[in-house]
Amino acid sequence: MQAIILFGILLSTYLMIIAKRTPALIRSFRYQSFCLFLMTIAIALEERQIGLYIVSGLLFAMKVCVIPHLLHRIIKRIQVNENLGLFINPQLSLLLALGFTYLSWIFSAQLIPAGSKTGVSVLAIAFFMVLAGIYLMIFRMTALAQIVGLLVMENGLFLLASAVSGGMPFFVEIAIFFDVFVSVVIMGFFVYRINRLFTHIDVNKLSRLKG
Amino acid sequence: MQIFFILGIPLVLAAGAFLIKKQKVFGMINCFGYLVVLFAGFGVLKDTLLSGNNISYFGFIYLDGLSAFFVFVTSVITFAAALYSFGYIRKDIERGIITEKKARLYYLLFNLFCLSIFFVPAVSNLGMLWVAIEMTTLVSAFLVGFYNTKDSVEAAWKYIIICSVGIIFALLGTILFSYAFSFSGGARSLNWPDMAASAGKMDKNIIRIAFIFILAGYGTKAGLAPMHTWLPDAHSQAVTPISALLSGVLLKTAIYAILRFGIITINSAGFQYFSNLMVLFGLISLAISSGFILVQKDLKRLLAYSSIEHIGIISVGFSLGAPLASAGALLHIFNHAVTKSFMFFGAGNIVSAYKKHNMNAIRGVISALPFTGFMVLAGVFALCGFPPFSIFFSEIMIVIAAFLKGSYLVAVLLLVFLTVIFGAFIYHFGRMLFGNLPRNMVPAGEPLSGKLAFLFLFIQICALGIVFVFIKKDLIWAAQRLFQV
Repeated sequence: MQAIILFGILLSTYLMIIAKRTPALIRSFRYQSFCLFLMTIAIALEERQIGLYIVSGLLFAMKVCVIPHLLHRIIKRIQVNENLGLFINPQLSLLLALGFTYLSWIFSAQLIPAGSKTGVSVLAIAFFMVLAGIYLMIFRMTALAQIVGLLVMENGLFLLASAVSGGMPFFVEIAIFFDVFVSVVIMGFFVYRINRLFTHIDVNKLSRLKG
Repeated sequence: MQIFFILGIPLVLAAGAFLIKKQKVFGMINCFGYLVVLFAGFGVLKDTLLSGNNISYFGFIYLDGLSAFFVFVTSVITFAAALYSFGYIRKDIERGIITEKKARLYYLLFNLFCLSIFFVPAVSNLGMLWVAIEMTTLVSAFLVGFYNTKDSVEAAWKYIIICSVGIIFALLGTILFSYAFSFSGGARSLNWPDMAASAGKMDKNIIRIAFIFILAGYGTKAGLAPMHTWLPDAHSQAVTPISALLSGVLLKTAIYAILRFGIITINSAGFQYFSNLMVLFGLISLAISSGFILVQKDLKRLLAYSSIEHIGIISVGFSLGAPLASAGALLHIFNHAVTKSFMFFGAGNIVSAYKKHNMNAIRGVISALPFTGFMVLAGVFALCGFPPFSIFFSEIMIVIAAFLKGSYLVAVLLLVFLTVIFGAFIYHFGRMLFGNLPRNMVPAGEPLSGKLAFLFLFIQICALGIVFVFIKKDLIWAAQRLFQV
């Protein structure tokens, strides 16, 4: 069961890397978060901890419903070109992503100490998500893609935390959720401002400050 | 007990900024509030660092010597920034740059920002530490983009994105630390006392990798080169009192986080590993900042690069490991905070009088703004490490410790970079302070609260260099205990 969910997470991350338009990117982010939610609820059912149920509920509310909805609203309101502006085309991106997957596999196999129960594949996929997030932030030009990239990295860390140490302590987890939510709201606010002042959200063209 | 005042007062003042409409009244209340915070900060320092106790409340708040020191530094700078804000914001309102309503927003954000900074050293849980540091980024992004110009919004965007990515790496490092902790048999906890106690049992391999993530992550926030790229933009575009806070204390909170994880790393993977990484990043920061300082044209960016330089000195200081060097680095944190805030206030007055950031267009500051001019002149010497100012003492401690330890290369490189930066500073500020006044400038008066902020910091800059000679033994003793769990 866990393997299928993990495969879903991996697949949705690949989908994000090859996405050409912002709505597709956000949709894949929603799939990814949903898989993550399934994963958490599976762990919660296994361990029967009330905290884990709350965390998975929050995950569903925040990352599957509220945040994608907010991002969609921003797209509608600012009405800019929906293309992501790719520096590297989808085919090459996919090849690179496969390379990243392999690298994170090697890295996590090295990392796990002898006698640990943690599966290598969970760790590898978590690190791959972090790499994929950075990739999206660097090689996609719009400000919205940077927000999504950050969220993908955060999702990767969530997976990592639940894989290696059974999640962070409960109230830390809640605080991190709150933090992520606030940061998305604030970044969205700045996207509006950038759009109003510069009439585009192409971060590659934000180059007034130098030296 | 004082810690509740320190955390409570900014919260109350944030609410007050929302409710009290009269700008002048609130500005005074704000200053008074931070005066109380300052005394409370000193009280915390006295209870912990000077008497050797640890304070803990509900397992959530934990203060030992290290965190109390950072709380104290923060309380000094926030008080100075509150004083300076009073005059600065009123001037902005009079000139019509911002409205009364926006000034209220400023005070609201200012207080929330201070609250989030105070939280960083006060919390015991390393996960909450992460949350608090991320909160400082989110709140201060608004203060960086406060004037809503193209430049400031661009700076705010870069700030929030680069720091958020950095901080994600820090979270990755934190998770790996907690993994190492739970693998060594600990409970599912991120509380500092628990983790520090079992540092010796943790898996070295994981800790090594985790600390790299921590250093890259919090190092971004601390402005260590080459992750410093957000820093000059944000510092130059922020409202001036906020530039002082960013440079004076925000960078130091990230250093605090690095030290916390560094102590675990030292006790698990050995001192040499920690030392090598810190000295590497420190020297890179010094090299890069000295280059940019030489060719800089913008006044506030010049000071921002100087902050990167001083962060480099601090990390070199901690990398040496000798008690003398650690004491020097701690002292340097305080000295840099007061001196740099002092310089930012001076730069703020100059920029608002000349309405320009470009140093080539600023001439004759001493005749235009006599008080600020002389203060900045003293500040330049203080910042470059001239006796009798306090930075001289902390820098010389680090250099002596490096020579005593036999790290000649480090010591010589440190001195070379300091000399280059000194030359560049004298060149830039000599041209700005002296020279002929531009024709359409008239010498103008300066607000009293601004002057008070200068004097308050100036006393710290001068007096500490002298007081320190008497309490040196206590300080070194405290620093020696720092890296022991």
